[in-house]
Amino acid sequence: MLRNALKAALLTAAASLCAAGLTPVRAQTLEAAIDASPAGLDPHIITAFASFMVVNGTIYEGLTAIDKDLRVGPGLAESWTVAPDGKTYNFKLRSGVTFHNGAPMEAADVAASLKRVMAKEIASPLASRLAAVDSVTAPDATTVELKLKEPAAPLLTSLATLAIVPRSFEADKDGLQKQPVGTGPFKFREWQPNGFIALSKNDAYWRKDLPKLDGVKFNIVPESATRQVGVSSGQYAMLPNIDAATALQLKGKPGVKLSETLELAYTLIGFNVAKPPFDNAKVREAVNTALNRDEIIQAALFGAGVPGGPLSPALKDWATDVKQFSCYKHDPAKAKQLLKESGVAQPISVTMTVLPRQDIKDIAQVVQQQLGNVGIKVELKTPELGQFIQDWRNGAFDLFASTNAGSPDPDDYFFRTFRTGGSTNVFKYTNPELDALLDKARANTDPASRKADYAKVQSILACDGPIAHLAYGQLFTASRANVSGYEIMANRSLSSLAETAVGK
Amino acid sequence: MPLRLLANRLLDLALVLFCVSAIVFAMIRLIPGDAVAIMLGANTEVTPERVAALRARIGLDQPLVTQYLAWIGAALRGDFGTSLWTGRPVIAEIGAQVWPTVQLTVLALALGAGLAIPTGVLMARLRGRFADGAMRVITVAGLTIPSFWLGIVMILALATLAPNLQALGYVPFSEDPLGNIGRLLLPAIALGLPILANLSRLVRSAMLDALVQDYVRTARAKGASERSVLYKHALRNAQIPFVTSVGVNAGYLLGGAIVVEQVFAIPGLGRLILGAIADRNYPLLQAAILVVTCGFVVMNFIVDLLYAVIDPRVRN
Repeated sequence: MLRNALKAALLTAAASLCAAGLTPVRAQTLEAAIDASPAGLDPHIITAFASFMVVNGTIYEGLTAIDKDLRVGPGLAESWTVAPDGKTYNFKLRSGVTFHNGAPMEAADVAASLKRVMAKEIASPLASRLAAVDSVTAPDATTVELKLKEPAAPLLTSLATLAIVPRSFEADKDGLQKQPVGTGPFKFREWQPNGFIALSKNDAYWRKDLPKLDGVKFNIVPESATRQVGVSSGQYAMLPNIDAATALQLKGKPGVKLSETLELAYTLIGFNVAKPPFDNAKVREAVNTALNRDEIIQAALFGAGVPGGPLSPALKDWATDVKQFSCYKHDPAKAKQLLKESGVAQPISVTMTVLPRQDIKDIAQVVQQQLGNVGIKVELKTPELGQFIQDWRNGAFDLFASTNAGSPDPDDYFFRTFRTGGSTNVFKYTNPELDALLDKARANTDPASRKADYAKVQSILACDGPIAHLAYGQLFTASRANVSGYEIMANRSLSSLAETAVGK
Repeated sequence: MPLRLLANRLLDLALVLFCVSAIVFAMIRLIPGDAVAIMLGANTEVTPERVAALRARIGLDQPLVTQYLAWIGAALRGDFGTSLWTGRPVIAEIGAQVWPTVQLTVLALALGAGLAIPTGVLMARLRGRFADGAMRVITVAGLTIPSFWLGIVMILALATLAPNLQALGYVPFSEDPLGNIGRLLLPAIALGLPILANLSRLVRSAMLDALVQDYVRTARAKGASERSVLYKHALRNAQIPFVTSVGVNAGYLLGGAIVVEQVFAIPGLGRLILGAIADRNYPLLQAAILVVTCGFVVMNFIVDLLYAVIDPRVRN
């Protein structure tokens, strides 16, 4: 009798414990779940997606801003003028902007922030985005002047990614990593490593009546199945920037809606052109011809993507339609013919180093089989991430399969990747015709003729370049049906959280 | 006696910690790709000068021995350094993540070890009967089902059965005691079931060994009740392997249950260590491993003390 009573009491206690887990979501705080913990919050140091997503456009803003069509518009600068020679930029700052610490944002802060990015002691990996900048000055409190060594068309795009921070941080290496201070719609509140990052509303935000939310909480939830259950049950209101595999499982779940866009990031096969067999342009063309990009998208990306050329179709102003590239038509017979013409001894046997990420591993297996069909024997090697980066940087590969973030201005990616001596030209690719085009386009401030330059660049790179571009995937965000005002961005920025609201 | 034991154990601890610190220090640096490579990533625009500047900034440009001596010197004074990534003291980062792990360990062990004794005794008593066979099959299943799989199944089941329950993640006990335990219940079950399976089999076989001993026959002959024979006479002698096994399990659990923490989104030591390895966060990893090592050694010490409590012969 007594024992039964005890049992009943225990059961009741257990049930009430479970029910206690049912704490209601605070009405206006958006609970988001992301897969990886940011490695820090200093916007000039961190570059990984996980960190970028949390801080860009939420905590921090730049002089310019990228809209959802990936075009550059005003940010903290309300307007600017460019001198006719393209070497002097004059920015007029917005008035009434304050930092989260209450100090007004002035020209001296902007100058200090840009100098911080360029300073050797800070060692910012973003410094190359300001490589053309000779000097930064603040003639008065609302004017910033940039003098360049040579004209740089991509500068305005780059400035959108360079966060403006208070001048006191110019020489402070560590302060922002743990306690970020920006001008954005949300300010940093708390970070529990591996647990969550909580942001709260910036009441003094310069855009009127924004943000609509009281705050955003990024819960760090590494397991995909757990995130899916969390958004289905309503514990999480949003899973931002998820891949097709996760999104398709959430399709049609009651109370969950999906928004999608074509990604700026792409998947690729890189060739080592410093040694046989891929130093031979015919072999590279053969690989491109042997690839069946539609099949890759069906098999590895769940059909959610488009065949990719050197630029994402999301860059509507720049990208060339892949149908115009001769080597993009899948044709195994022609690929074999090209291999024969190349004079390279057959069969060709190479290794492919694969980025340790599920979609890339899946893609690599499809590519392995497609290349096998034309007589290129590929052995796959999937090292741990640190090893992969080291091999990649040292050019210790025949082929590698990977993904690349892409950027809204073509120069940003093309120049460093394909220009002779470019900082991420790990392939050791060199092509004088391409170099001349890239140099010309970089300094070209006339949009129409710059577009023509990059069209030529794309047609050279598509079949001859050191990269076989594979596909641009669809990017998804899953959210509860009552979340409104959110716009998914191809560059994974969550800046539209400022306009987002959670309904009843 | 316990004092001398304590002194010996402290000496052991110091030696173990020293060796572990050297091994960890070397091993994390032997993995290809250092913190700078990870920090700069595969997609950023990097020049050799930038790499050198960043290496100098976090002290990686010094010779390995210099780095080790500097670190151990500071550690002996209680300064374990700051996280390479966040700049916060590593002790603070570990301190924040040690509690979920300790709580999970206690809950999982209470569940696993607590239920193992009655289950094991029951199996021994029913030896040879159908129920014993069935329970043995179930325990084999319990041993072979991985915790993380069990965890995922439990999460999916919960989502179907109680879709409005928010049982994922972690809230500190101080903020919401009921929510805290409510959220740890499922992961504790996922971790505790394999321990229950393992320990109940152990109790069963230890009991079977004990039940054929002379003193059990004597106890029965003097008219002791079956209950008293089982729990007072036989079980006491079956306790030594049981306590040993509980101690080992506790040591492992204190090291962090990585996969279960991943599945239930709990910020524990396992994820801290995994993240520190992936990010090459040297100071954080080194200190975390030392904390885990301490936990393991202390658990072993407690087990040794318990031997003396259980078995009077050990006391001399």
